[in-house]
Amino acid sequence: MGVKEANVDRINVIAAAELVKGVSEEEEMKVQKYLRGEAADLGALQDKKLKGQLAVREELYGKSAQAAAKAEKWLMPSEGGYLEVEGIEKTWRIRQEAIAGEVDILSSRKQFDIVLPELGPYTLDLSLSGRYMVAAGRKGHLALVDMKNMDLIKEFQVRETVRDVVFLHNQKLFAAAQKKYVYMYSDNGTELHCLKDLIDVCKNVELIKNGDFQNPEEHGAAARLQFLNKHFLLTSINKLGQLHFQDITTGEMVGNFRTGLGRSDAMEVNPFNNVTAVGHSGGTVSMWKPTSAAPLVKMLCHQGPVTALAFHSNGHLMATAGMERKIKLWDLRKFEVLQTLPGHAKTMNFSQKGLLATATGSYVQILGDFSGSQEYTRYMGHSMAKGYQIRKLLFRPYEDVLAIGHSMGWSSILIPGSGEPNFDTWVANPFETRKQRNEKEVRSLLDKLPPETIMLDPTKIGSVRPTRKKEQPTKQEREAEKEAAVEGAKSTSIKKKTKGRSKSSKVAKKKQEAVAKAKKPFLEQQAKDAEMSQKKRKRNEVENQLPKSLQRFARKVPTT
Amino acid sequence: MMADKKRKSKDGMAQSGKKDREFRNKKRKNLSSNKKNKNEDASEKRRRRGPRLPNALRRELDVFNRNVEGETSDFDEGIASDDAVGNDVYEYEEGIAEEESKKNRRFDTVENYQYELPEDFKDSDVASDEGEDDEDEDNKDDNENGNEGRHTRMLEEITGLPSDAFGGRKKKDIIITEAYPESEYNPSSDILDGDGRISIQDLLDPLHGKSGFSKLRKNLQRMNKKSVPTLAPLPKSEQERLERKAAYEHSKKDITKWEPLVKRNREAPTLYFDEDVDLGFSTIGAIASEFEPRTEFEKKIASLINQNEVVEAHKKDGARLLELNKISVEEVMDRQERLAKMRSLLFRHEMKAKRVKKIKSKTYHRLLKKERKKTAEAALQMDPEAAKEHAMKQEFKRAEERMTLKHKNSSRWAKRILERGLQVQDEATREAFGEQLSRHAALTRKINSVKESSSSDDSSDDYDSDDMLASPDEDAKSKLLMKAKEKTLKVLEGDEELPNSGVLSLPFMVRGLKKRKEAADEEAKLALEEYESSLKQLEDQSASGSCEGGVSSGRRVFGVPKKVVNETRKKVKSDNYYGNSDSEDDVETQEDIVIENNQNDKSLREADIDPSLLREEFEISHDSVFKSFQDAEDPEMKTTYEVAFLASDSWKKMRGSSDATKQTEASNHVRKSEITTRPMKHDQSFEENNDDCDTDSDGEMVDGILSSDPKSTYELPSQAELIQRAFAGDDVQEDFDKDKEAVLDEENPEPEKPVLLPGWGQWTHIQKKKGLPSWMLAEHDMAKKKRIESLKKRKDAHLSNVIISEKLDRKAEKLHTKTLPYPYTSKEVFEQSIRMPIGPEFNPATAIGALNRPEVVKKAGVIIKPIQYEDMNVRERGAETHKHNGQRQRKAKDKNQSMKKMAAKV
Repeated sequence: MGVKEANVDRINVIAAAELVKGVSEEEEMKVQKYLRGEAADLGALQDKKLKGQLAVREELYGKSAQAAAKAEKWLMPSEGGYLEVEGIEKTWRIRQEAIAGEVDILSSRKQFDIVLPELGPYTLDLSLSGRYMVAAGRKGHLALVDMKNMDLIKEFQVRETVRDVVFLHNQKLFAAAQKKYVYMYSDNGTELHCLKDLIDVCKNVELIKNGDFQNPEEHGAAARLQFLNKHFLLTSINKLGQLHFQDITTGEMVGNFRTGLGRSDAMEVNPFNNVTAVGHSGGTVSMWKPTSAAPLVKMLCHQGPVTALAFHSNGHLMATAGMERKIKLWDLRKFEVLQTLPGHAKTMNFSQKGLLATATGSYVQILGDFSGSQEYTRYMGHSMAKGYQIRKLLFRPYEDVLAIGHSMGWSSILIPGSGEPNFDTWVANPFETRKQRNEKEVRSLLDKLPPETIMLDPTKIGSVRPTRKKEQPTKQEREAEKEAAVEGAKSTSIKKKTKGRSKSSKVAKKKQEAVAKAKKPFLEQQAKDAEMSQKKRKRNEVENQLPKSLQRFARKVPTT
Repeated sequence: MMADKKRKSKDGMAQSGKKDREFRNKKRKNLSSNKKNKNEDASEKRRRRGPRLPNALRRELDVFNRNVEGETSDFDEGIASDDAVGNDVYEYEEGIAEEESKKNRRFDTVENYQYELPEDFKDSDVASDEGEDDEDEDNKDDNENGNEGRHTRMLEEITGLPSDAFGGRKKKDIIITEAYPESEYNPSSDILDGDGRISIQDLLDPLHGKSGFSKLRKNLQRMNKKSVPTLAPLPKSEQERLERKAAYEHSKKDITKWEPLVKRNREAPTLYFDEDVDLGFSTIGAIASEFEPRTEFEKKIASLINQNEVVEAHKKDGARLLELNKISVEEVMDRQERLAKMRSLLFRHEMKAKRVKKIKSKTYHRLLKKERKKTAEAALQMDPEAAKEHAMKQEFKRAEERMTLKHKNSSRWAKRILERGLQVQDEATREAFGEQLSRHAALTRKINSVKESSSSDDSSDDYDSDDMLASPDEDAKSKLLMKAKEKTLKVLEGDEELPNSGVLSLPFMVRGLKKRKEAADEEAKLALEEYESSLKQLEDQSASGSCEGGVSSGRRVFGVPKKVVNETRKKVKSDNYYGNSDSEDDVETQEDIVIENNQNDKSLREADIDPSLLREEFEISHDSVFKSFQDAEDPEMKTTYEVAFLASDSWKKMRGSSDATKQTEASNHVRKSEITTRPMKHDQSFEENNDDCDTDSDGEMVDGILSSDPKSTYELPSQAELIQRAFAGDDVQEDFDKDKEAVLDEENPEPEKPVLLPGWGQWTHIQKKKGLPSWMLAEHDMAKKKRIESLKKRKDAHLSNVIISEKLDRKAEKLHTKTLPYPYTSKEVFEQSIRMPIGPEFNPATAIGALNRPEVVKKAGVIIKPIQYEDMNVRERGAETHKHNGQRQRKAKDKNQSMKKMAAKV
């Protein structure tokens, strides 16, 4: 009897455990996310004290991650969804009209076309929260729109070519790349700055230094603008392929580099590390940071000119489109192609959830990665009216909406599953009050990052400095240096001294000593080098003695 | 049969006893040979033995042994050995049979009717010393030693009495069978036999069982015990060491109890000291109210302040206080006077000091110095402490001098002079040189004044003692002679005026006196002559000695006696030089020789000989030394020569020394060079070979890296329009490759091609044919290889279409740590430890506090009390580690902070 009961109990317990297991696995995933990587192998540590300290810390981290994972349920209540089809239906066959009939009224109001045929083609930019949009018509039309209540905040004409427009840190400021210069406007249309002065300054200093002093009018004509909101840097690339980084808080020109790769029409910022990528006509994509004149990475992506660029929000994925009718997806950790898709793209954009929208002509295609293996497949498509030339695609953050700027105004379509369903009010709040906005402005200014923090792998900040490669002088140079030093020692005049201290023998001896002294460092260096090379040779020998399969372990020092 | 048996057993006993005794004698040599109570001895012995068989078993064994003896008693030796073996098997000696030990009188005492050997019977197996050791019990006298034995034997022989009469030892047999218990009415067999004396034991036995017996016995035992000599105390240092050891053990045990506490504190991520803080006094008034006078001064002040009058005055108002402040006129006057006096005194003293300081007179200062010295000396004599200090100072100076050899002509100045030759120097320099040496001698001489025993003087330095022995002898002789001469002269000259009155004035008496005087005069003259002759002899001797020394100066190093002669001469001449030569270290012959040179100079100058000549001679003599060294046969001489050789070796002036060695060296050189040249050639050829193949392969490698390119990762769509659009004119790939190569070249420049200056290094046309020298090629090759290596290490090495810049951003350097922070030893661990952000933006509010808590939590002003001991069980500890915020732990932590510090210091 007792046994039976025990059995029943056990079964119950097992069922409960399975239930718990299912739940806990999910939670485990979340915890892993919040743990941000693996802990160090404490078992291998020899220092007991350090081991103890780290163990305590790890425990705290674990607790923190668990608490965060638990809170996630309450803080991120909504889940994103996708278009799901049955049978032979295909998602890309579903049209916007069909979607409009299914969604709620609020969402259906997000489908619209604004027809502005005169000052076309339009380019767009969205604020971080996705609530505000600035649209710029090529022919000088600038409009600031509140997308939530479909309110036109400000609309004005600048009466000259506007190539690009970009929001600065909030919707109160935006910059427009106009015919000659970059201008900054407030939300009520006031021109706050014309960035010609600074560009003039840089013309005077930088260009003359660089030796390519050119026509100043053309120089200021930025083709594309980007804003690095954590660093407060306004980035522009001009027709000549010159890249500018300007700090908008101080007005300082942080970086001004020639790409040397010709005209560029594609520039994007990697949201993960704020590295600016520029696509060039030579088929190359170069990545820049404001503190180095040489590109961090230069990669040949296409045989033809690069027409569009886009970055996934996790920073590991880059999409490029070339003139040779190829769209490529790159893994930026390995700098390798993940996927090559056929097709042109005039503009591309990744959504927060990782959908990729590409547009060419009047057709928009949305690709999605649903298998979870970085394999992008067709998800949705949308064709505008014939003759519309799409200029800009932008997914609205925190909304399942794709904004399209085209030659006849701008449109907005619904792409289910594109936006992040939960917003973090500390990061971006679509329902921001004025006070919140002001506070956030101050906070973000205080938290402004210096430009040098931009690097390929920002997680390396705080780690041990990479070793600088020593520039070894060649042997001839060293010889010459030595000779010069010896000559110098010989030619030094010796003071005349009294009491027999200036006897010829003394003088000779002194000179000899001086020469020996001058030679000494060189000889020491030589000896050291010889020793080093010998050591290296010995190590190589050791390596060679090992069987082939073990050679790769030869030099590895066990980590402690 | 019975006798045999007895003998056997005795033999066995004797043997085992002998062993035992030897062992003990060794162990306690210090013990005096006082006689001991046998019972006590036995008991002690029993105590000493290690594990032993149970009594019953032993008894059985005994019986068995006896049986065996009984059976095989015919073979003496065999049994003896058997017995011994038996003893050996059970490592311990056979215990005393119970009936023998008379432990509790369970067994009746039995008369010994066995045959007894005469006392002087000598067993073949037993040494005569132990021969008389006839007891059958095996309790032996520990303190019996050869001396006593010999003594008793001697007495035996003289008196013819048995040894027991002298030794006072009671004979005890194994088997004593008596019909009645022993008492005064029934004396034991020994007494009846008349060959034993009554011992205390005998007297005590009958009292057994009566009241007071145990007390008596105890008293006796105590008395016996008292006679045991106390061991000499250990040396003090030993004692102290033992004490320290014990103390250390104790304190160690004491300290270890803190370990769990300290461990816990060390492991705790945070220590809390804000536990029920009562900062106590909040105001100065509160602090003051708590003040309690402790020192005498404070108490005095407190008593003054707390005087009733003052307190009352305070309570009322300030007017009364002013009244209390009043001082009488006399007091003020007195004080003023005192101050004025003091001031004037000070002023006078100052003036005097000023005046004294101004005086430039040498004599004055000399006198002052003298006085000071005098007072110091007086102080030395008066004050033993000061004397000691002075002695210590002197000793220190001496030690310093011995160590540094500062005045041993080791200074640069002295070395330079020596290098140039002392002869070249002028008089003053040489004088200074000598002065230095004398200074050294004075400093290094042992000071006798401090120590009472001057005998230790000669032991330290050989030269000194030698000199002391030899020279004063000669000196004293001559002096003695001189004195005697003087006296005799006096006697001769001294006219004894004849007494004019008294008995002595009588004519016959006067005559007698005259006669006697004449006789005395004659004798005196004779003595004088003798003295003079002997003095002359002595002088001659010394003169000849000096002569010899002068001539054979070079050789003087080797022969000590000659030197001694020399020194005596010196002593006669000038005391100054005496000190010079008693150098301590034998190795530094250089100086010695120099000194000798110096001396020689002096003597020779007197003899009008050119010093340079002497120098030559000196060198020649050295040569001769080496020659003689070669054909030296006398072993004694040999040793001295060796010393000399060593010395001269250190001197590094082996002029005209062994040519042979040079030759061998030269040949060695030649051989070496041959050896070195041969492998070089080999290497060169080898490297050339290597170079050839290497360069080839390198070229391939370079190509492989730089130009091998998966050009066809995908097929271009074969649409003509596309190709048109793709700008068929410019080859994008080629451009990029060039670009990459340029970047690589910039970051890892390609090595320059080896070039040769025309005519440089070319001797014949052969080299021309060969082309560039191999080392150049090798170098170039190395550089190439290096470049390829570094290129291989690049991140983009295997990515043909990617250039990843390897340039380091100087501006970003500040964002990295220069070195690994302290406790970390590996980069990975460090980087993994900083992966988690700990700020409030990234962590839930519950975790932030714990993540950012400082190591020590303490309010300002909290006094950290010393750690207090707290018993911690293992279980408790386990529980406590789990509850981190537990109140108890906090308390413990609070208490233990200072302990932690202490432990860290330890």
